[in-house]
Amino acid sequence: MKTKLFFFLLSVIFIMASSATPQGLTFRGYGRTYLGLLTDDGSYSIQQNTLDLRLEHKRDKTALFVNPYIYQYPDREINLKLRQAYLDIYFNKFDIRLGKQQIIWGKADGVFITDIISPKDLSEFLLPDFEEIRIGVDALKLNYYLGDHTLELVWLPRFQPTIFAEPTSIWAPKMMDFPIEPTFDYSNFQIESKLSNSEIAAKYSALTSAIDFELMAGYLWDDNPTNHIRKQIDPVTRQINRLIVLPQYHRLTMGGGSFSTTLGAWVLRGEGAYYNGKFFNSTNPVYTDGTVQKDYVHYLLGLDYSLWDIRLSGQFIQEAILDYEPEIYQDEYNNMATFLASRDFLRETVNLQLFVYYGFNNEDALVRPKLTYDFADGFEILLGANIFTGHSEGWFGQYKKNDMVYAKIKYSF
Amino acid sequence: MKRLIISTVIALLAISTVSFAKKDLTGLDIITKVYNRDDGNDQTGDLTMTLVNKFGDQRVRKIKQYIRDFGDVEKKIMFFLEPADVRNTSFMNWSYTEAGRDDDQWIYLPALKKVKRISSDSKSDYFMGSDFTYDDLGDRHPTEDTHKLLRTEKIGDEECYVVESIPKEADYMYSRTVTWVIKDKWIGLKKEFYDEDGDLLKILTINKYEKINNYWTILDTEMKNVQKDHKTLMRLANVKYDTNISDQQFTERMMKRGL
Repeated sequence: MKTKLFFFLLSVIFIMASSATPQGLTFRGYGRTYLGLLTDDGSYSIQQNTLDLRLEHKRDKTALFVNPYIYQYPDREINLKLRQAYLDIYFNKFDIRLGKQQIIWGKADGVFITDIISPKDLSEFLLPDFEEIRIGVDALKLNYYLGDHTLELVWLPRFQPTIFAEPTSIWAPKMMDFPIEPTFDYSNFQIESKLSNSEIAAKYSALTSAIDFELMAGYLWDDNPTNHIRKQIDPVTRQINRLIVLPQYHRLTMGGGSFSTTLGAWVLRGEGAYYNGKFFNSTNPVYTDGTVQKDYVHYLLGLDYSLWDIRLSGQFIQEAILDYEPEIYQDEYNNMATFLASRDFLRETVNLQLFVYYGFNNEDALVRPKLTYDFADGFEILLGANIFTGHSEGWFGQYKKNDMVYAKIKYSF
Repeated sequence: MKRLIISTVIALLAISTVSFAKKDLTGLDIITKVYNRDDGNDQTGDLTMTLVNKFGDQRVRKIKQYIRDFGDVEKKIMFFLEPADVRNTSFMNWSYTEAGRDDDQWIYLPALKKVKRISSDSKSDYFMGSDFTYDDLGDRHPTEDTHKLLRTEKIGDEECYVVESIPKEADYMYSRTVTWVIKDKWIGLKKEFYDEDGDLLKILTINKYEKINNYWTILDTEMKNVQKDHKTLMRLANVKYDTNISDQQFTERMMKRGL
């Protein structure tokens, strides 16, 4: 099947490249080769070749956009998918977008607070470009415009969860600690595709001279499953003799907002959300399935500034569980910060950038320096490193054996 | 519209309906006439910038731009077409007539699918790696500099006023500029930019200008950095004036939708 798809895609390329290309069709994309090396043992963390195509046809009132892509690995099956494939219909005061699409909300950089409509592909943690991390969702999106104000309504008929790395991957997330080896029961894991399981969300936004802001709300699903835990106690020894983990998705209601404004040379950004009824794991024996439902808030404040031609950006992010109980597996407050410094050289043909995630709770970090050189227009050479430090309990520290250096060469057309 | 686009760049000039006796003209008069030049209510055009390094290697940037004057604010939106890796990026600028009020600026990055507000404070930054800074391309108000008419001088067949402009701001990127303004046509044919040490940094030359819809329009420009020996050629094509561009063109909706 994959082979057929591959040849189908090749056929599309040749047709597009031929004189038979329909008028008004644009055909863009990029090819990229990517090699990563683990500094720990010198093994290759990734060898990937990518072909990413963007086909677009526009008329006055309608448009079609399709974005197929191929990931080819020497040691894995070829991966051909559609990142987006949608139709646009333009009216005087509103637009409709129908199909598989990435829907991005919020003002945060590199952090997901209100930006929870499109789930994430974390099969390589947060290392790919964000365009590749965000999964296109099947959705109907309606945008109504009144001057610089926009009302956006989104309906997702089918739930799509976060994609995590395979258990054998070096990017597999650390599991909870269990007293004995658990068995997994996936009987309640799937969300049936039916109307009552669809997701809805709305956003009101404005872009004005003084401030840009968004207000949003959604009746969604938590993209990450909760592990419900069943214990069986040996009646003789009174010890746990069997542990069953039942991963399950739950509804999540969210309300939030974001803003961005300038203060002289500074850009001040903020974003926050209130989440109602998320399930957290708890060791409190009162909760027989090892979970408790709590509300939580997640917010961010960020500042952008330029100094000596260096673009600087800092963000502070906090996640706080309300009505907290000490037995909850997760900390009451989870504090994080990000830092970005970026400078162009040689008429913007060279860019040097440093991006850092820092987790205060576990004093862990992900440090990402990279050097990009535009060898020619549309031809980019990128050298970089991903350095993980800190406590292995931390979100970044868990990968501290995965420090890597990498090179990417990208040809855009 | 107060600026001639990027094109404006250049500083240049317009035909004033007010008549000054030439002997009474001051440097400020000349630059003010340039600034107040009537260039229509709106303008569209295709802009091509060719960046040439000292070895002669070229890089090309192509942009489609729309500009409209709303009275107290001039709005401009630019869609980047080339190179391929920046295609569908868009940039929007709202520039106010109110003295001292900063521009509002946003950029849409298609990879992030977000419109980001950016600070307009970095006017000394170079635009897309070219030899033009944002301020070179923009709308510098005559009151921001002290102007002095140095002399009159001929360039080719054109008789020009030569005006020196010294910024009032202490830390401005140029210590002074000198502009050659064509008499009667009121077009700046040449401009020299001097760095903070007083040394010649860049020379702007207009190679082609013509009247389109009765507005003087600068079509071909060259900005040469004499210290680094590289230059940028800027060409404006398909210029249209007063096509009644909708105010909806200058919105987040259009930044995201693109061309």
